[in-house]
Amino acid sequence: MKLEKVMRNVYLTDGMLVTKSRYGSHYGEKVFDGFREWIPWRSKLAAMILKGYTIDFKGEEKVLYLGAASGTTLSHLADIIDEGFIYAVEYAAKPFEKLLELVRERNNIIPLLFDASKPWKYSGIVEKVDFIYQDIAQKNQVDILERNTEFFLKKGGEILIMVKARSIDSTVEPEEVFDNVLKKIKSRFKVMKHGNLEPYHKDHLFVHAKLF
Amino acid sequence: MKYNLWFGIYEDGRVDKSSNLEESFLNAENEEPLPFSISEVGIEVFGGKTGYYASLRKVALAVAERLVERELRKEDRYVVALVKALEEVEEAINMLNEKLEDIRTVKDTEIAADFENKIEELKNLRKKIEREIEEIMTKIAPNLTEIAGAKVAAKLLERAGSMERFVKLPASKIQVIGAEKSLYKAFARMKRGKKAKIPKHGIIFLHPFIRTLPKSKRGKMARFLAAKIAIAAKIDYFRGEVDESLYESLRKRYEELRRK
Ligand SMILES: C[S@@+](CC[C@H](N)C(=O)[O-])C[C@H]1O[C@@H](n2cnc3c(N)ncnc32)[C@H](O)[C@@H]1O
Repeated sequence: MKLEKVMRNVYLTDGMLVTKSRYGSHYGEKVFDGFREWIPWRSKLAAMILKGYTIDFKGEEKVLYLGAASGTTLSHLADIIDEGFIYAVEYAAKPFEKLLELVRERNNIIPLLFDASKPWKYSGIVEKVDFIYQDIAQKNQVDILERNTEFFLKKGGEILIMVKARSIDSTVEPEEVFDNVLKKIKSRFKVMKHGNLEPYHKDHLFVHAKLF
Repeated sequence: MKYNLWFGIYEDGRVDKSSNLEESFLNAENEEPLPFSISEVGIEVFGGKTGYYASLRKVALAVAERLVERELRKEDRYVVALVKALEEVEEAINMLNEKLEDIRTVKDTEIAADFENKIEELKNLRKKIEREIEEIMTKIAPNLTEIAGAKVAAKLLERAGSMERFVKLPASKIQVIGAEKSLYKAFARMKRGKKAKIPKHGIIFLHPFIRTLPKSKRGKMARFLAAKIAIAAKIDYFRGEVDESLYESLRKRYEELRRK
């Protein structure tokens, strides 16, 4: 098996993205020889990485994950941040049930069934973090990101946000939505990279930025 | 400034550690970002990084499991719906009984038998709903059900709307739930400069420990019962363990008041 290292604990083998993992399958992905397949159609983060953009994780970061759903992407992020901790926020109980299976098998995930638009509710739980990952498909998701930044992001900390054009405004062209999102983000952050997630996710934008 | 942390209250550089971490976890709300590092403080309180994160993960998981289960089953909402249905069924039974009497006083007809059958059917339905309420109340609020009885407990829950809201009610409010009408009437009278009695008990008046006491002692018992109900609901909601001492103290107080 030929492995090409892409990022911390992330490899490419025969065009397939995988994370180094001691754990079993969480969402139907293949598992072999201590690796788990990371499916780009299921995970926007995987799509971004496969498109050639990587994040330089050290593995001991504190991460705040907004919109963790059932833990598909979270499971891989937990493989990467294997010496740190991930605070996983999600407000829907149904997917969270599945996420809790992941929490039980790992010890680096703190599950938080909270509304991400009200960060004050978990302000006495979450510490200052190095990284905020947000994938909540909400109209006001940039506001929600900013509120959480205010509460929890360290100076010099980074954000990675996944934006779905349709959930922000379905009446205008995605390009226009993305321009507005970028403008908003640029007022508080230094944007390091942004791009689309085609062909894996249509009309999606990722933005990686750093807090001034 | 005081800050609510998941493991206690932080004030002036000191932490008053919570004796119920799941409860403090759900109360860890602050208007402003914390001006200090919660993990640094916590690591000191828990005697190390490993201990801090292990406890945090454990408490977060326990709370999440509980919230998810409740959210998914929505059993308190089911009880609320059942209580409302029960009241309607009871009203229907009363109404049919009245009509049956009306008819009978005029003429003993076959229709009277039909009424009786209907009433019998509704009584069976009532029994069924009551049993269901009791079963679920015992499961979701064992302490509350034990000290208040399933019926009173369910009615209180119905008025509160949910367990989440119930546990936020102070005992003084629980004491008069269901007596709001007479309470407002009393206030209105007082506003007009008239004398009025403040009602001492609402739904909890149905409790045998109050009903069977002489009138002069009911207020005292109602206050005591309401306080215990508030505690019981909190234990049920936050911990779910059964606390035997609650019923014991209630019974003791009742005996005391009865003898005096
Ligand atoms: C597109 S899904 C996330 C998928 C997930 N990030 C993954 O890749 O595995 C968006 C999730 O955000 C959640 N969400 C939306 N608004 C939220 C809010 N205000 N607070 C918390 N979660 C929210 C939704 O319930 C949904 O599960």
